[in-house]
Amino acid sequence: MLFELHVAALALYVLSAAIALAPFAGLPAVSRRWTLGVASLGAVLHGIGVAQLIGMGISGLARPLSVLAWFLVVLQIGSELLLRVGTVTLFTAPLAGGLVGLALMLGLAPGAQPSAGRNAWFILHVALSVLGLALLALAFISAALYVLQFRELKAKRFGHVFQLFPPLERLDRLNLVALVAGFPALTIGVLLAVGYAVRYAGGMHVDPAQLVWGSFTWVVLGWTVWVRVARHWAGRRAAFASIAGFAAVVLVYLALKLAQPGTQRFL
Amino acid sequence: MSITVLGVNHRTAPLEVRERFAHAAHEVPGALARVLSAGAEGGVLLSTCNRTEFYLADPREPVSEAVWALLGERLSGDHAAREYGYAERDRDAVRHLYRVSAGLDSMVLGESQIQGQVREAWEVSRGQAGPVMHRLFQSALLVGARVRSETKLGNGAASVPSAAVSVAGKIFGDLTGRSALILGAGDMAELAAQCLVAEGARVTLVANRTYERARAIAEQLDARALTLEEAWPHFADTDIVLCSTAAPHAVVTWERVAAVIQGRGGRPLCILDLAVPRDVDPAVGQLENVFLYDVDDLQAVAGQAAALRRGEIPAAEHIVSEEVERFWTWYGGLAVVPALKAFRERLDEVRATELERAVRRFKHLQPEDQEQLEQFSRALLSKFLHHPTVALKLAAERGRGYALLEALRELFGLERRDDA
Repeated sequence: MLFELHVAALALYVLSAAIALAPFAGLPAVSRRWTLGVASLGAVLHGIGVAQLIGMGISGLARPLSVLAWFLVVLQIGSELLLRVGTVTLFTAPLAGGLVGLALMLGLAPGAQPSAGRNAWFILHVALSVLGLALLALAFISAALYVLQFRELKAKRFGHVFQLFPPLERLDRLNLVALVAGFPALTIGVLLAVGYAVRYAGGMHVDPAQLVWGSFTWVVLGWTVWVRVARHWAGRRAAFASIAGFAAVVLVYLALKLAQPGTQRFL
Repeated sequence: MSITVLGVNHRTAPLEVRERFAHAAHEVPGALARVLSAGAEGGVLLSTCNRTEFYLADPREPVSEAVWALLGERLSGDHAAREYGYAERDRDAVRHLYRVSAGLDSMVLGESQIQGQVREAWEVSRGQAGPVMHRLFQSALLVGARVRSETKLGNGAASVPSAAVSVAGKIFGDLTGRSALILGAGDMAELAAQCLVAEGARVTLVANRTYERARAIAEQLDARALTLEEAWPHFADTDIVLCSTAAPHAVVTWERVAAVIQGRGGRPLCILDLAVPRDVDPAVGQLENVFLYDVDDLQAVAGQAAALRRGEIPAAEHIVSEEVERFWTWYGGLAVVPALKAFRERLDEVRATELERAVRRFKHLQPEDQEQLEQFSRALLSKFLHHPTVALKLAAERGRGYALLEALRELFGLERRDDA
């Protein structure tokens, strides 16, 4: 059932991406109701799968990737409903589809997982950390869309991007909201990890790679929030900060993962 | 029965003539009363900046004279109103209104403002419209809505002022509460400002070389008047700048904008240069977070939308044709009842005359026989009339009633009300 739910969600995310891309290929745009409907159906089916995953414990690599994909789609739907920035689907849908596909390839079924995966502290730690990461990804996506639209407006090109991308200020606002919401989520996620390690793991014994990446991500997210809120960065400069921050987080993860390959652990 | 439209529009009359013919809402009832008194069952006067049109139900011949005379009184010189006008009748008149309502006859193809103006005209003329005009205008509004929902005729910004709003919208999103500064007193800037205000923006400042002119425009827009020199510091806190001065060279220079742009904290500044020659040094557009567009850029935006809209004309015309037929079916059915009545009365008149003559000739007939003869003549007439009546009603249901009625009138010499 878990596999089927993920496959159905993957198909719907691919369809959602195709619908979002269609107007850029000169095909007629599908109504907002359909776009939202397809993504929401995918999110509902995927959400059932994620609930099952949580019941089994969300340790390892495949399961957090599935949770990350689900958060991305939920945030995509929220962005569309609250800020009318449906164009994030151009990035979130393929990304979510790719992550679900990767999770399926790695295998979602329960294996010889450590019992920690079912602990409430641990589940909350993973869920909030992944939510923080998803919000950082959303900030990156809105920033990328901002830079693209900014370039088109400056160059006075009035093509598909001008027509179909959201206004600059709306993208800037989405970027700010994603960062401001992401930072506390990640902070609580990190604090829960520390609490979990102290309470259940008998001290501060944490894998160095996890410690490095977790701290680095927290610092990067904190910095992007600081420049936006305290230094009042906005517009293109803030967009570049988000893009650079997200890219750095992904690159550091990949570097650490290459140093310690394997699918049994997130890092 | 007939429907006629008489009027002038942007294709047939220059602006200086159209503005003379334009009727304010309070002038409409009087003008309509005067035209209807010449002989029509009802009418609606549609008067916008691009057209003044009288839509009339069952007009008699003197009505067109009354319309041209009424409009002619507003002209000076030797010109007659008829020189600028046109007249369409029946199906063509219905098609004309449907095309107007759909935006197919507008100066800016597919513009949506006309739909509100059609509605307003109908509402202002409500007391004088009559049932046919009510139905016609009601259906015209539905046709306009159908064309807009089923085609892309209304998509995009197809005029320079609306393109200016569209570009500003791509930077700021919702324009509600955005502040705008108008530089200069050009017509185009004023039009664009009106479009911005319609989208919720506030024109806070109007600057001009001569303070008096700035004050005149500022009063209209509930804004503050400035001289040009006083305007430069306000580039730091305004969102949109509309430029339309008559200066022969660029008045908004890189130095002037660069000096204040740092104080904006990264907020975008949209400068719309609607002047020819341009008011803004193109180098200003290279400043970070400054978005500069001139008339050519805005025309490019408008041109794209216009091209898209032109591609939608066949689909929109198809809808209009469908709806004209639908209306004409209803209208043909409406015409059948009085025509049939006239037809029956005409034949009954013949029957009664011939019966009277026969009764005079056959003096030996008893009253009972005369009664029998009369019943026979009535029955015979009913038999004769049965098939044409059924056929006519059926034809009306199928939308061919009007053509048959015309034939009936010709064949039996029935009186046309508008021939009287």
